[in-house]
Amino acid sequence: MSEAAANQAAELDLGEEIVVAEGIHKSFNRGHKEREIHVLRGVDLQVAKGEVLVVIGPSGSGKSTLLRCLNFIAPPDAGSVTFLGHCLTGEVPRRRPAERMRYERALRFYRTHIGMVFQHFNLFPHMTAADNVALGPTRALGLTRREAKERSLEELERVGMGEKAGQYPSQLSGGQKQRVAIARALAMRPQLMLFDEATSALDPELIGGILEEMKRLAESGMTMIVVTHEMGFAREVGDRVLFMDEGVVVEEGGAREVIESPQHERTQAFLSAILS
Amino acid sequence: MVAYTFQWHVVPESAGALAHGLKLTLQLSAISFALSLVLGLVVALCRLAPSRPLRALAYTYTQIFRALSLYVYVLFIYFGISAVFGINLGTFAAGVVALTLLNSAYMAEIYRAAIQSVDHGQREAALALGLGHTRTFSSVTFPQAGRVAVPGLVNQLVDIVKDSSIVAVIGLLDLMGTTIQLVSTERAPFELYTATAVAYIVLILAISAAAALLERRLARHLRGGGSGPSPLEWMQRYRFGGRVPT
Ligand SMILES: Nc1ncnc2c1ncn2[C@@H]1O[C@H](COP(=O)(O)OP(=O)(O)OP(=O)(O)O)[C@@H](O)[C@H]1O
Ligand SMILES: [Mg+2]
Repeated sequence: MSEAAANQAAELDLGEEIVVAEGIHKSFNRGHKEREIHVLRGVDLQVAKGEVLVVIGPSGSGKSTLLRCLNFIAPPDAGSVTFLGHCLTGEVPRRRPAERMRYERALRFYRTHIGMVFQHFNLFPHMTAADNVALGPTRALGLTRREAKERSLEELERVGMGEKAGQYPSQLSGGQKQRVAIARALAMRPQLMLFDEATSALDPELIGGILEEMKRLAESGMTMIVVTHEMGFAREVGDRVLFMDEGVVVEEGGAREVIESPQHERTQAFLSAILS
Repeated sequence: MVAYTFQWHVVPESAGALAHGLKLTLQLSAISFALSLVLGLVVALCRLAPSRPLRALAYTYTQIFRALSLYVYVLFIYFGISAVFGINLGTFAAGVVALTLLNSAYMAEIYRAAIQSVDHGQREAALALGLGHTRTFSSVTFPQAGRVAVPGLVNQLVDIVKDSSIVAVIGLLDLMGTTIQLVSTERAPFELYTATAVAYIVLILAISAAAALLERRLARHLRGGGSGPSPLEWMQRYRFGGRVPT
C-alpha cells in the first residue's frame, strides 16, 4: 500500500486492526550451530484500535523479542507485521536504492508511531528529563526545539513529572524514571504503545503508580500491548490475554476467561505458579 | 661524585631557544592529538561496522600500528619512505604522521571499548523513537561513549607529549632536540636536562588538571551534583602517561 493510502487508513479510524503480525519467526545467533536459539516459532497476533492486549508467559518464552519484532528493533527472520496498512517483513531490500529507501521510510513510520516502554527505563543518562522527552520529536519528527520543548513539558505534566523536567535520570527514583519514559514515548503521539514489563524493575511501593498511569492511558483509548506479570492489572485493564511459552502462543482469549479459567495445562501451571 | 661546576646561568641564557623548542613540542603534540582523535574514531567505527572486510582492515590497522615503537616508525617514515618514494616529508610532518598513526591505533581501541560499554538498551530506546543509525550514534551512543573515553584519551595525549621527544632523533628541534643541541655546545647537561624535565612535568601536570576539570564537568549529571574527583583521585587516574589497559 502506498504511504498516502496508509495515512488515509490511519485517519479514517476504521475501528479495525492497528497491528497484525503473522507467522513471526526469530532466532538469535543464526549460523552458529551451537549457540543458535529459535526464540519465536510462528507467532500471530492482532490488536484492534483501542484494545489492550496483555502478553504473559514464563521467562525466556520470547515476550520481549515479540515486542521488538513489532517495531523491528529485532527484525523477524520470517513473517510480516502489518501496521496501519503498511506491511513489512524482516527482509531488507539491499539491492535497489529506491526500494531500500522506501523500506527505511516505512521503518521510520513504524517506529515513530509505535511507542515503547522498557523494563529498565532506558532513559538517556546524559540528558535531562525534558531533553529525553524532546529528543524524538526534534530528531525523528523534525519539530523545532521550541515546539519539542513545549510538547515535552506538556507530556511530563501529564505523568506528574512537570517539576522534574530539569533533572537528570540519576536524580530520579525508579518510578519517576518510568514516568519520564512513558512521557518520552507519548510525546511521539503514537498509535500503539508497547510496554515490556514496565513495572518489573520497580520497588513494590512504586508499582501501583505506574500501573495506574497505564490504566489511565488505556482508558483514554490508547491501543496497547502489555507484557506483564501483574495479573490484577491484566484482568482489570486487559481486553485480551495471550499466553506464550517456548516461542509459540499457547492460549489466547478474553482477559478474564484466560486468567480465571485457563484451558491449556501449561497456562494453568504458569498461572498457579505466579498467583501463589 | 665527580668534580662538577654547576652553571645554572646557562638555563636563563638558553631560555629563548628552549621556549622555541617548547612551542614546537606543543604544536607537534596538539596537531598529532587532534588528528589521532579523528582518525582513531574512524578506525573504531570501522571495527564495529557490519561489513566484514572493513572490520578486518581496521583490526589490521590497530595491530600493525601498536606493534612497534614510535622510534621505529619515526625513522621508517622519515628515512625509509622518503628513500623509496623520493618525497621529503620534513621532520615536523614525519613526526606528526608517526605520532598520529601510532596513537590513532591506541585511541581506536579506547573508543571501541567505550562505545561497547554503552548499554544496549540506549541504542534500542533511540531506534524505537524513530532515530536513524547516524542520529542514534551522534545523539545517544557517542555522547555517552565519549565520557567513558575521556580518561583514556587524555592518557594518550600525555603519551603523545612525552613520546614527541623521540622525534628529536630525526633532527627536529622540539624541546628535546633543542636541549640535546644546547648540551653539545654549552657543556651543562645536568642543568639543561633538569630544566627540560621540569618543563615536561609542568606541561603534563597542566594537561592532567585540565582533564580532571573536563571530566568533572562531563560527569556532573551522573552524580546528581557532587564535586567530582579529588586532586588525589585524578593524580591516580592519570598515571602521568601510563597506557590505559584496553
Ligand atoms: N539479543 C539476543 N541475543 C541472543 N539471545 C537473545 C537475545 N535476546 C533474547 N535472547 C534469548 O531469547 C530468549 C527469549 O528472550 P526474551 O527476552 O524474548 O524472553 P522474555 O519472554 O521476554 O523473558 P523475560 O520474562 O525474562 O523478560 C531467551 O532465551 C534469551 O536468552
Ligand atoms: Mg522480557
